[in-house]
Amino acid sequence: MTSYVDRQEKAKFGSDRDAEMRLKNNRLGMTIFQASWIMVFLALIVVNWQLRFSYAQWPPAGVAPFDPLLPSAATLALLLSAVLARRGWQGLRLGNSALFLMSWRLAMALGLVFMAIIALEFAAVSEAALATQYGITMRLMTGFHLAHALAILAVMLRVYRNGARGSYSGDPRDSWPVEGTVKLWYFVTVAWLLFYAVLYWIR
Amino acid sequence: MERNRSNIPSISPAAVVVAAVFLLVSVIGVNWFTTFVPRVLPPQASAESRSVDELFYILMIIGGVVFFLIQGMLLISVIFFRARDDDRGDGPTYHGNPLLELVWTIIPALVVVYLAVISFNVWNQNSEPKAAVNMINGEETVIRVTGARYAWTHNYETSRLNPEGEPIVINSGDKLHTYIGQNVELVLRTQDVIHSYWVPAMRVKQDLLPGDPATGGRPTEIRFTPVRVDGAAYPAEYPIVCAELCGDGHGRMRGTVIVYEDEAQFLAQFYEPAIHAILNPPADPVLRGEIVIQEYICNSCHTLDSLGWSSRTGPSMNGIADRAGERVAGQSAEEYIATSVWNATAFVVPGYTEQMASFGPEQTDANKMSAEQLYAIVAYLCTQGEQSDCDNENSTVAIPAAIKTAFGLEVDITFGQGDDAGESESAPSGE
Amino acid sequence: MTTIAVPLGAQAEQHEAEVVRRPALSEYLRWSVDHKIIGVQYGVAAFLFFIVGGAMAMGIRLELWTPELDLMASGAAYNSLFTMHGTIMIFLFIIPMWAAFGNFVVPLQLGAKDMAFPWLNAFAFWLIPPAAIVVLLGYFVTPAEAGWTSYPPLSTLFSGDGQTLWALGAHLLGISSIMGSINFIVTILNMRPPQMTIWRMPLLCWAVLATSIIAVMATPFLAGALTLLLLDRVAGTTFFNAAGGGDVLLWQNIFWFYSHPAVYIMVLPGMGVLSEVLSIHCRKPVFGYRMVGLSSMGIAFVGFTVWAHHMFTSLQPELRIPFMITTMIIAVPTGIKMFSWLGTVWGGKMRFTSALLFGLGFMSMFVIGGITGVMLAALPFDIHVHDTYFVVSHFHFVLFGGSVFAIYAALYHWFPKVTGRMMNERLGRIHFAFTYFGFLFTFFPMHIVGMLGMPRRVAVYDPNFTDWNQVISFSAFVLGFSTFIVVYNVIHSYFRGPVAGANPWRALTLEWATTSPPPVTNFAEDPIPFEDPYGYGTEASAAYLDAVDAAFDAEPPATDNS
Ligand code: HEA
Ligand code: HEA
Ligand code: HEC
Ligand code: CUA
Ligand SMILES: [Cu+2]
Repeated sequence: MTSYVDRQEKAKFGSDRDAEMRLKNNRLGMTIFQASWIMVFLALIVVNWQLRFSYAQWPPAGVAPFDPLLPSAATLALLLSAVLARRGWQGLRLGNSALFLMSWRLAMALGLVFMAIIALEFAAVSEAALATQYGITMRLMTGFHLAHALAILAVMLRVYRNGARGSYSGDPRDSWPVEGTVKLWYFVTVAWLLFYAVLYWIR
Repeated sequence: MERNRSNIPSISPAAVVVAAVFLLVSVIGVNWFTTFVPRVLPPQASAESRSVDELFYILMIIGGVVFFLIQGMLLISVIFFRARDDDRGDGPTYHGNPLLELVWTIIPALVVVYLAVISFNVWNQNSEPKAAVNMINGEETVIRVTGARYAWTHNYETSRLNPEGEPIVINSGDKLHTYIGQNVELVLRTQDVIHSYWVPAMRVKQDLLPGDPATGGRPTEIRFTPVRVDGAAYPAEYPIVCAELCGDGHGRMRGTVIVYEDEAQFLAQFYEPAIHAILNPPADPVLRGEIVIQEYICNSCHTLDSLGWSSRTGPSMNGIADRAGERVAGQSAEEYIATSVWNATAFVVPGYTEQMASFGPEQTDANKMSAEQLYAIVAYLCTQGEQSDCDNENSTVAIPAAIKTAFGLEVDITFGQGDDAGESESAPSGE
Repeated sequence: MTTIAVPLGAQAEQHEAEVVRRPALSEYLRWSVDHKIIGVQYGVAAFLFFIVGGAMAMGIRLELWTPELDLMASGAAYNSLFTMHGTIMIFLFIIPMWAAFGNFVVPLQLGAKDMAFPWLNAFAFWLIPPAAIVVLLGYFVTPAEAGWTSYPPLSTLFSGDGQTLWALGAHLLGISSIMGSINFIVTILNMRPPQMTIWRMPLLCWAVLATSIIAVMATPFLAGALTLLLLDRVAGTTFFNAAGGGDVLLWQNIFWFYSHPAVYIMVLPGMGVLSEVLSIHCRKPVFGYRMVGLSSMGIAFVGFTVWAHHMFTSLQPELRIPFMITTMIIAVPTGIKMFSWLGTVWGGKMRFTSALLFGLGFMSMFVIGGITGVMLAALPFDIHVHDTYFVVSHFHFVLFGGSVFAIYAALYHWFPKVTGRMMNERLGRIHFAFTYFGFLFTFFPMHIVGMLGMPRRVAVYDPNFTDWNQVISFSAFVLGFSTFIVVYNVIHSYFRGPVAGANPWRALTLEWATTSPPPVTNFAEDPIPFEDPYGYGTEASAAYLDAVDAAFDAEPPATDNS
């Protein structure tokens, strides 16, 4: 007798309608996941914001404010990267696999640039800043964001490799990994924009 | 199958009668309910407690009505709407009634608004800062409370001066002394974790929040005004309780509020004797030690029968002098006890952990301890034992010598030598 | 409406072809992506944790028999005991238990074949055992002893490695809960067959939807808080350490921003269960269906604005009032539910099944917890009773009197669907009697000792309260005993209970329009729900129910015991 599980998989995931449904589910699931997980980033913003009240001024006395120049460049790179990722996905949907691959190469390179700059910033927090929450929350936020960016970039790379092998037809129903990764990369971008504003501009 | 097709739930006349009876019962019931109020609350020992209890009374009435309403309706339903055994049919198809739904949305909303308003008023009344706080002899006094695992310490910063011209600080340990009509305002600080200062009889509670010691901590305030409780004998005592989990000894972290009948009694029974004792410490270091050790929070962790301590976080102090000589090789009993108090981590008694707080001149608030106070404490602990390891005959020499070896500090042994002593011992912040 | 015959016919045909059997017990021990198996996995695991947490509660009550410390070695041992009790009950019992019923019942009620993400579903469940092991391991290292609320600096600077493991375990459980909730939302919004419009959805689905929305929006804050706690403990940061510019209130804000909404995660599904159970066993439509559904959303929404009512004695005094007001507002949507249920019961034809008894028990007990909740919201009164047994009483009335009573109601109600066998009703009633009175006499007196001055979380208390505490402890043992009755009933009924048939309660919702237990794919094709999930008392509904009976009762008893 076939096991309960085997029968169940056969019965449940065969038809075309199921493929439609899976796509619909994936899209909604991704939206909800993003809404949910952005809350963690908001929580860290709350942390930054509440800890400001421990100090008479922000940044605390004797601590030089972070220079927004390089991070702004990184932000730009990330934005560009998101746009490219999107362009790649559109290319793939139009059947232009070369455009997809090229855009993603660039997108990933720009993502790396972003991460390198932010990692540099992370490392360069001064001793004086680290003695206060100004530096500590900065490391918390950038570190947390970097971890996400890194993980999602790894996913991108994997999807890119599969794409290079021609695994995705461009039909959204069997190219979900591409679409999903693009959406995750947007997520990284949006989360960063929030952090960027809080860390470098809102005093 | 029998089916009821009317659009209104059938209510038998009996149900109407029961509903009427129920209304009557609930009115009587709520009334009866509220007679319990005084019995489920501690005595009303402060002005605040009166307004809080009034609020509670209203909450009980409203809560009681909701309670009896719901339980009563349930009871009626259970009695009248049970299906007979042979009845396999359905109830009436009745989907709702917008008007009714509106009513039971609006009425609770109004009730809630009413509750919010009266609570707000009581809160404003109770939390408003008062003029003329902590009046003693016509002057405002600062009363500071320190919470540390697991004891309370109260310090009165008086305007009296000691012979050096410094204000005298009375340390009344875990006791708060006050009198009827005094507007008490306490400044609360914690040494370690969050504690919560709760005086049930006063209906007040406030957390003590850790803050940066460099900026003087994070003081919080608590205010109340004791009032007369009918039938109480004065001075009356009420417990102080720690209401925030603070660790092992949280349940034992208690204290006492002593309310005197009036300022005269307060002055005569507490204030003046306390000042006198500070200005004229006993000449005998042991007697002094017995006073000093009770100003610290040692009781919150140790057992000592002669002072009625019974805590078990640290080792028992019963017979400590018999053991002190053998604990650490090469250390005299005096040295060992002195080191145990100022530098508890130097040697950790087997079976215990490094939980003991550090005491010493460099500590803040409740843990600040001068060499002279240490001297007195060691002298006192040296008497706790059958055949003490300490050199009790020569304590005035041996203990200062031990403190000198252990910490390199000179103890001024002239203090406390007589009524008009040059050096006076003024508890923690006297230095 | 006469559309019913077609899909049911198809269901029946399918069963002709394939004998539906109960999954072998061993299937429950393996990785499975079937929502029904996962539901049972959740349920059994959660119930085991309930026994463990309950045994710990017995330890607590034993210690509190006398005002001295006698059973435990130290205050710290007692502290770690109630810390584990609270943690297990909340994170390992109630929350997974609702995932159990959500998993088993929701796809069936919707008429779906499975959850939207079966694999994710299984993964969310299988996170629980390792998380539980991590948490319980902590109990055997240097246990966490800062309460389930883990306030720093007690939980950061003053406790051992168990606290780190506690935080790690809670982290995993939080992630599991988020994944489960995403799954529920997508399932409920996407997987409904065409005729299952949103206003035909059973109220349990509404409640699970509201619960899941809370969970996905609030639980990330728990993740944030725990991340900081872990960093403070292991990486030397100072988020909660004032000496390094940190703030202890930061934890309280973030933690309660999750944990207050979490209390509605714990009770809203119970409220959904109640709507089902009351309506079906009183044979009447749910009174004000739409308002009951929408009030779940209302509670979920307002629930996000009240968190600081747990901080009335620590928050800056100026900020306390707004939270008092928002907190009180929650009474309004909850009241709507309460009164609507009364309207449902009123005039019905009640069958006093065990499920209904527990449903009525819920109403009668939860209302007490709700009233004391509103009392606690009244700031000046909360100042007095905060962190006393009054609060302990409040939350057991809502958590046990609410959630656990609802869980029992759900158990008696859906057990036939899950196993194909009926529970023993007589034992069920005995169980109810013991639970109801044991519960009442355990937790009601706690109000009084709390107001009189007994703080919570103490092993050593004022000897004046000894008598009350012995009443409480005695009743708690009775309550503990009552658990054995239901355990026996479940095991006995699983093997020996009378065969249930597809629709023993003659209920209209879709989970009853298939065999018990349902086949692997639940329905052969998209079922067509009856026009009104609670439309009892009409001729059409009677015809529908008769059709269901006819479609499935021709079947041979659908169980073979493997
Ligand atoms: C299932 C869990 C659950 C639920 C549903 C609730 C529901 C409510 N809770 Fe409770 N609560 C807890 C679990 C829960 N709570 C826990 C676990 C704690 C302690 C945490 C800890 O410190 O360890 C706690 C603590 C807690 C506190 C903090 C106490 C303190 O520490 O000092 C407060 C204060 O406001 C509070 C309020 C409320 C209110 C107003 C509701 C409302 O939602 C209740 C609404 C319901 C009703 C009011 C009844 C029905 C309504 C009517 C019949 C309408 C008419 C009624 C009126 C007009 C009054 N709760
Ligand atoms: C859903 C949640 C839930 C449930 C169901 C319970 C159930 C019970 N709880 Fe719990 N409780 C909490 C959630 C819950 N509790 C929380 C969150 C806290 C706060 C923790 C903190 O402060 O951090 C708390 C705290 C708490 C305290 C306060 C401790 C203190 O502050 O000092 C007490 C004291 O009486 C208590 C008692 C009980 C009792 C008697 C039960 C009973 O209902 C239990 C009934 C018993 C059983 C169901 C088990 C029966 C099984 C057996 C008897 C088998 C024994 C078998 C073996 C030994 C092999 N609980
Ligand atoms: C927070 C709890 C705590 C407080 C407060 C505390 N102690 Fe202790 N004490 C301990 C513990 C735990 C030990 C055992 C571990 C050690 O030796 O460090 C100890 C050990 C001692 C010892 C050594 C006992 C022995 O048997 O060798 C002495 C003496 C002592 N304490 C005196 C005091 C005095 C005096 C005070 C008050 C000024 C005090 N303690 C306050 C917890 C405490
Ligand atoms: Cu101090 Cu509890
Ligand atoms: Cu709350």
